[in-house]
Amino acid sequence: MIDSGLKAASVNPADSGSRLGSILVASLLIMIGVITLYDAASYTDVDSKVFPQTSAIALILFSTLAIGKQIIQPTVVSGIELGSWWRRLVLVSSMLLACALMPYTGLLIACVLTFVLGLIASMHDRWSNRKAIVYFLSGLSIIVCFYVLFKFVLHVPLP
Amino acid sequence: MDFGNFLAALTPLNLAVAMFGVVAGTLIGSIPGLTATMAVAVLVPISFSMAPETALILLGAIYTGAIYGGAYAAILLNTPGTPSAIATTFDGYPLAKRGKGDLAVAIACFSSVFGGLVGAFALLFLAPPLASVALAFGPVEYFWLSIFGLSLIASLSQGNLMMGLAGGALGMIMSTVGVAEISADIRLTFGSQTMISGFEVVGAMIGLYCIPVLIDMCSTGEKHLKITGEVAKMPILSAARITFNSKFNLMRSSVIGTLVGILPGAGGSVAGLVAYTEAKRTAKPHQRFGEGEPDGIIATESANNATVGGGFIPTLVLGIPGTPPDAVILGALMVQGVRTGPELFQSNGSIVYTFIYGLLIATVLMLPIGLIIGRYAYKSIVTIPKAVLVPTVGFMTIIGTYAIRNSISDVVVMLCLGVFGWLISKYGFSASPIVLGLILGPIAEQGFVQAWTIGAAVNNLPGMFFGRPLSQAIIAFTLISLILPWYLSRKKQIKADA
Repeated sequence: MIDSGLKAASVNPADSGSRLGSILVASLLIMIGVITLYDAASYTDVDSKVFPQTSAIALILFSTLAIGKQIIQPTVVSGIELGSWWRRLVLVSSMLLACALMPYTGLLIACVLTFVLGLIASMHDRWSNRKAIVYFLSGLSIIVCFYVLFKFVLHVPLP
Repeated sequence: MDFGNFLAALTPLNLAVAMFGVVAGTLIGSIPGLTATMAVAVLVPISFSMAPETALILLGAIYTGAIYGGAYAAILLNTPGTPSAIATTFDGYPLAKRGKGDLAVAIACFSSVFGGLVGAFALLFLAPPLASVALAFGPVEYFWLSIFGLSLIASLSQGNLMMGLAGGALGMIMSTVGVAEISADIRLTFGSQTMISGFEVVGAMIGLYCIPVLIDMCSTGEKHLKITGEVAKMPILSAARITFNSKFNLMRSSVIGTLVGILPGAGGSVAGLVAYTEAKRTAKPHQRFGEGEPDGIIATESANNATVGGGFIPTLVLGIPGTPPDAVILGALMVQGVRTGPELFQSNGSIVYTFIYGLLIATVLMLPIGLIIGRYAYKSIVTIPKAVLVPTVGFMTIIGTYAIRNSISDVVVMLCLGVFGWLISKYGFSASPIVLGLILGPIAEQGFVQAWTIGAAVNNLPGMFFGRPLSQAIIAFTLISLILPWYLSRKKQIKADA
């Protein structure tokens, strides 16, 4: 939920990294607000400007206040908890890889490759030959079923 | 309206069509990326060879099934299967995380059926007078309605209001990317052809809600969802008791859903959000919205399914589609040679009433079908090994996002937003206000600019924005939902200090 990353407690020095992260995210949002204002200045019609400018000002204002609150009355945020970075990286990269490969290999092959990489990233139990074969085949069958559903039943022009 | 139409709706063909429609709609709606509009659109050609009333029953059943199906992914994967189920994630997923995913799915089913029935009865008995409500809503009312929806941010952000409001503002900025609807200026694309059509809402929603869950799931060996009971058994009686004990919430949310459904363009997502806001505003002290409160699921699911019947009111009476799937159904009706409009209930009464009875029957059928499919959906999600679940859901996010506009760029944007959403969620910001801003931003902008133009033309801007009774009522509700959470927490704090 919305407050999932928040814990109402007093801050100890160990949380300062998370607080700094929170301030950095708010600063990034301020930058987005400034860029929006800069871009909006070039619109020819005033009707196009009003809403993005108002939203950008609101973004800058609320993000600044969020930074202020984090400095004056800090809220502890969870920060990036323990967990394997390489697994996260492999999962996201494999999905991006699918996007890159799709125009050349088609969706089916690209997604099978992504599935294999995702399987490796998410496997926390000990591998066995049986597990590897069963997991791969079950994934393959799901991918093929969905591919058929989308391409031939729903007529989505998949690459 | 006579008994003959009811019997006509009960023919074996109509019953079979209603059952097929509910099953197909539920399955399609449960896949992230496939919306109710797509479910209706892809299955429309099947209806062309049918009699008009049978075709309408099929399309109505698909629509109602798809809206309910969206709840599965929202509850079990924190990914709204359809935009209508956004607010279902707020309490559905936390409840599933606590090991009560089966209960959440069953509550969603009972609530959806109840809401669907209220919407369908409104269509049966009150269609012509309620259609006039749609006409009473001008641009300024749409503007205030979207602001009312955005006020949900305040009640959702009790941990840090400023972060929530900043997220909402970011979502509104994102909603402006691409070609401006009113003046056709190209905004915030920075020369990119990809962004000219803006952020695709469903893709963005999949990214912001689903990708963070996948990233967290793969990084640790913990189980995705806890299991408290026996997986094979669905807690149907407990779910029915919880749902129907919350009578007032159920009825109020269904009425909200029906009324919002009547408003052209608003749709199930707005209905769910408004009903959720109201449920949270009137919550009892012991209720913990956002932490797995069943009333949150009841409010959202009853409201979004009530929009089905509600949306048919302007579609059939005025020829103005209430929701996007209604626009597709309206097109199918035209192909069938049925002319919608105020005379439809007289000139084609037998078709319309047979359809309405068919919709009622389809909604009732959704109870057993929804519970059975829900049980298998839950069972699959909790028993499937995480190593298979993560890449499978990852694949579904890719194919689902791609299918919306047949665009690989949308998939890349979805992934980038997902990583961004995951990162900011670790530092106190949340995806929900961003999604709220993204969905409500265009409604707010269009309403604001149109109202401003009209107000300036008649030289009465304050009167335009604050002078109309409907606007005043919505403003009052907005102020209450903004101030009440703050007031209640202040009161609680004073009590605790004393």
